[in-house]
Amino acid sequence: MKPVTLTINGKLVRATQGEYLLGVLRREKIDIPALCHHEAVEPYGGCRLCTIEVTKPEWDGWKDYVTSCLYPAADGLIIQTDSPQVIEIRRTILDLYLARCPEAKLVQDLAAKYGVMKTSYQTVPEPNDCILCSICTRICDTMGFKAISTVNRGHGKEVAPPLDQPPDACVGCLACALNCPTNYIKWKDVGGTREIWGKKFELIRCEQTGQPTITREFADYLIANRNINADYFKIKDSAHRTETSLGLGKIAQWTREEVK
Amino acid sequence: MKHDLSHLPGIFARHQQKPEALIMILQDIQKEYRYLPCEALQETAKALHVPLSKVFSVATFYNAFSLHPKGKNVVRICVGTACHIRGAALIQDQIENALSLKAGQTSADMQFSIEVVACVGACAMAPVVIVNEQYHGSVKPSGAKRLVKGVQ
Amino acid sequence: MGITSSKQLLEMHKECKATFEKYPKKVIVCCGTGCIANGARKIVEAFQAALAERKIKDFSIEAVKETGCHGFCEQGPLVVIEPHGTFYTHVKPKDVEAIVEKSIAGGEVIEPLLYTNPVTGNKVERYQDVSFFTHQHRIALRNLGKIAAHDIRDYIAVGGYQGLAKVLTSMTPDQVIDLIADSGLRGRGGGGFPAGKKWRTCRNVESDVRYVICNGDEGDPGAFMDRSMMEGDPHSVLEGMMIAAFAVGAKNGYIYVREEYPLAVIHLQKAIQDCEKHGLLGDNILGTNFSFRIRINRGAGAFVCGESSALMRSVAGEVGEPRAKYIHSVIKGLWDKPTVLNNVETYANVPIIAMNGPEWFKSIGVKNNSGTKVFSLVGKVRNTGLIEVAMGTTLREIIYDIGGGMLDGRPFKAVQTGGPSGGCLPAPQLDLPVDFDSLTAVGSMMGSGGMIVMDDKTCMVDVARYFLHFLVSESCGKCVPCREGLYQLHELTERVCTGEATEADLEKMEKLSEVVITASLCGLGKSGPNPLMSTIKYFRDEYLTHIREKRCPAAVCKKLITYTVIEEKCTGCMACITACAYNAITGERKKPHFIHQEKCEKCGACVAVCKPDAILVE
Repeated sequence: MKPVTLTINGKLVRATQGEYLLGVLRREKIDIPALCHHEAVEPYGGCRLCTIEVTKPEWDGWKDYVTSCLYPAADGLIIQTDSPQVIEIRRTILDLYLARCPEAKLVQDLAAKYGVMKTSYQTVPEPNDCILCSICTRICDTMGFKAISTVNRGHGKEVAPPLDQPPDACVGCLACALNCPTNYIKWKDVGGTREIWGKKFELIRCEQTGQPTITREFADYLIANRNINADYFKIKDSAHRTETSLGLGKIAQWTREEVK
Repeated sequence: MKHDLSHLPGIFARHQQKPEALIMILQDIQKEYRYLPCEALQETAKALHVPLSKVFSVATFYNAFSLHPKGKNVVRICVGTACHIRGAALIQDQIENALSLKAGQTSADMQFSIEVVACVGACAMAPVVIVNEQYHGSVKPSGAKRLVKGVQ
Repeated sequence: MGITSSKQLLEMHKECKATFEKYPKKVIVCCGTGCIANGARKIVEAFQAALAERKIKDFSIEAVKETGCHGFCEQGPLVVIEPHGTFYTHVKPKDVEAIVEKSIAGGEVIEPLLYTNPVTGNKVERYQDVSFFTHQHRIALRNLGKIAAHDIRDYIAVGGYQGLAKVLTSMTPDQVIDLIADSGLRGRGGGGFPAGKKWRTCRNVESDVRYVICNGDEGDPGAFMDRSMMEGDPHSVLEGMMIAAFAVGAKNGYIYVREEYPLAVIHLQKAIQDCEKHGLLGDNILGTNFSFRIRINRGAGAFVCGESSALMRSVAGEVGEPRAKYIHSVIKGLWDKPTVLNNVETYANVPIIAMNGPEWFKSIGVKNNSGTKVFSLVGKVRNTGLIEVAMGTTLREIIYDIGGGMLDGRPFKAVQTGGPSGGCLPAPQLDLPVDFDSLTAVGSMMGSGGMIVMDDKTCMVDVARYFLHFLVSESCGKCVPCREGLYQLHELTERVCTGEATEADLEKMEKLSEVVITASLCGLGKSGPNPLMSTIKYFRDEYLTHIREKRCPAAVCKKLITYTVIEEKCTGCMACITACAYNAITGERKKPHFIHQEKCEKCGACVAVCKPDAILVE
């Protein structure tokens, strides 16, 4: 837990040796975009938007461009978060994103911030709103279900349930969909049934109001694995339901308003 | 397609059901069945205590694995750099024409599959075509058709 | 059967050497993959059958050796008769009788089977006089073509495992690291990182567990150096790994072999089994405290798994997605333990450096680039094959003196080094000395050793497009610059090849390339734009001709060329009409034929069958 001193955009800042720089930068209220980053899971290093420029006095002017989400703080680091090269990198990445996800509002807004209103590249043959941040798969892993994963590789990579069939391991907890930055993952609650990833779930109903609460499968999991009494789920209470899944799953929930 | 899954326990045992042997187990399954049947993937996930989503992820990541049955005769065309420079693209054209198939496809009668491989390491004999594990070197576009017709 | 001391090893060495030299006359049949594809096994069988039938003085059927790749694949199948060194090329099973009668029994030379020097036109009798070999300096390839690949006794006969014995019985791990560091051995997989420095960093990490891995993935298309070493001299690789393991303190090692190399896996497996049988792998090796085990992991068809962190994920049974290397894998590698990962060729050099010392290794090569490098010399050169030369040898010497010059006498245009991470160098660079630093300085790189020679019939834009296509299909897809950036670079290069690009597109490609190089997660993305950038740098005019004139000077890019019948030369034989799968050619017998451009797919079938060479492609 050794304390270190860094220079960020010309200002001296304290940090702990080894902590990832993105946290330090956000503490300093510096605006760094990071589409594949999520507090509840390990950093991924996929979108590269959080790239910053680093150097050290002994590097003789040589600069390295690294993703702040995974770069460890070390004494003497000199960091620039918005040098021309860094801005160019972010601008280009967002331009590339727009070629893949032209309709995704999140991407459009972020790209606009960097001056890109329309992609200057070829739109891909089948654009959709999935930015391949892999937050959904990583959160599903953290929740303990591991129901979905990334399949294929390269440009054909996508998120899918195994064998493209309704996943056995999915309990309909919605952690993936509720944390998807572009709302790409579709789900539907109709009456007492939930559907996601092609799988249908029965929602437990509140014994007082008849309102649906969570899926039978998710409740069973929590009862079996998180020491919760079965009675807990008999009453609808959106605050207490959310708190349960959040606190126990250690997920920071993005509200629908934030995502908009 | 139904498969005789009785070979699977032997394969798993050979690798002591170790999760880190996943790739090698899938390779053995691929060798046994000439592709990865769905049920085999499901059995593998169970035997290794590895999530099915991970097994599927691995099965679709690596080129060596096929989720669809291959034809009886597999024609692999090397499209490595040395072969490319020496005309592999024209040879690919000829073979695709001769079999009325594109690379990556299997004929409807399950007799032929065409695959392209990035490099088989026989670069000094470029261009190379492998028909049913048999290597053919210094293939000429005019000879490519004959190579596959000879198998039919 | 275990060898429990270095003294016992020495005894065994003397025994095996005696057996090895028992019959001065030997028949060496090259059984590298190339020669096997051309029927080498049948030749071996033919020799064994012929020799079973007759007794020849100073000869025995035991003296028929199946060895690894000599490297002269263009001329295979190859047979060498020792001790004279008679060198026969393009041998067929039916030639074996005559070879046994005339050469082995009669001591004569069979002229038609001799190698013809393409420059002088002279026949060359002996292996030792073939220019392809005389210019080489074989260290990593020292045993290839001499010993039976699958027989540990041959390896021990020529001094194998003496390096290991010396290290285990007379040196400390730190002294071994000093020796390797002193020798200047740099990684032969492409990175050129000093091996000693890597080993030292690994050793200095506090850990109870460390790993040693051999990278046998060799994904660069056009490269087959590692394949030949793994197939032809597997023990040299094992011995190198053992010495490394002793130096860093590892008890377990892995060899990651590309899925496309089944013979390498078989030979390595046999070598490991033989070592285990003889106590050279396992516990208390050679009676010391050193214990080490090696396992083989097969790749599954992913170029990205040649990248160290992706390789380690693959060994662990995961998808081969690399991770950021801000913390190096030598500190946190396989299963987060300190891991040394080196290339096949790097390990192959280690035992002989251990025996001969660092000064010997430094005396070969040039400053900061000691030793030799194995290259696969392929493409439009006369003598394609595997070669090993001292660092500092020039491209010209390699392509002309060893390679015998350009195929069909066509003009040299470029040589590509470093595979998909490297660059293309034009004629003015021919006198460049080949070493890590010189190649990097001009925009290419050493890479693993693939050296592809191109002539004027090669379109450099097509070469860039080819490499980008390859990289797009091999990208793991995790990071945006590589997954999307290389995809878009490929799209843009395609447009140059189809005549749809503008000059603004060229500038766009250059700017995008810079971002891809800077911002990608791993080496695949970071070096992916290199072939494009180097061809734009050295062959900008060719790009501009495609863009401005919509013309492909090398007559390769399908959308920009036409196939036309030269009426004066056409004999009206109708061969092309029969060959054409698209019904694009019409004509009557003995009258000049005509190619309908709208139907022509430029597949080349007609050119292939046209005897009078009456089809013009431009």
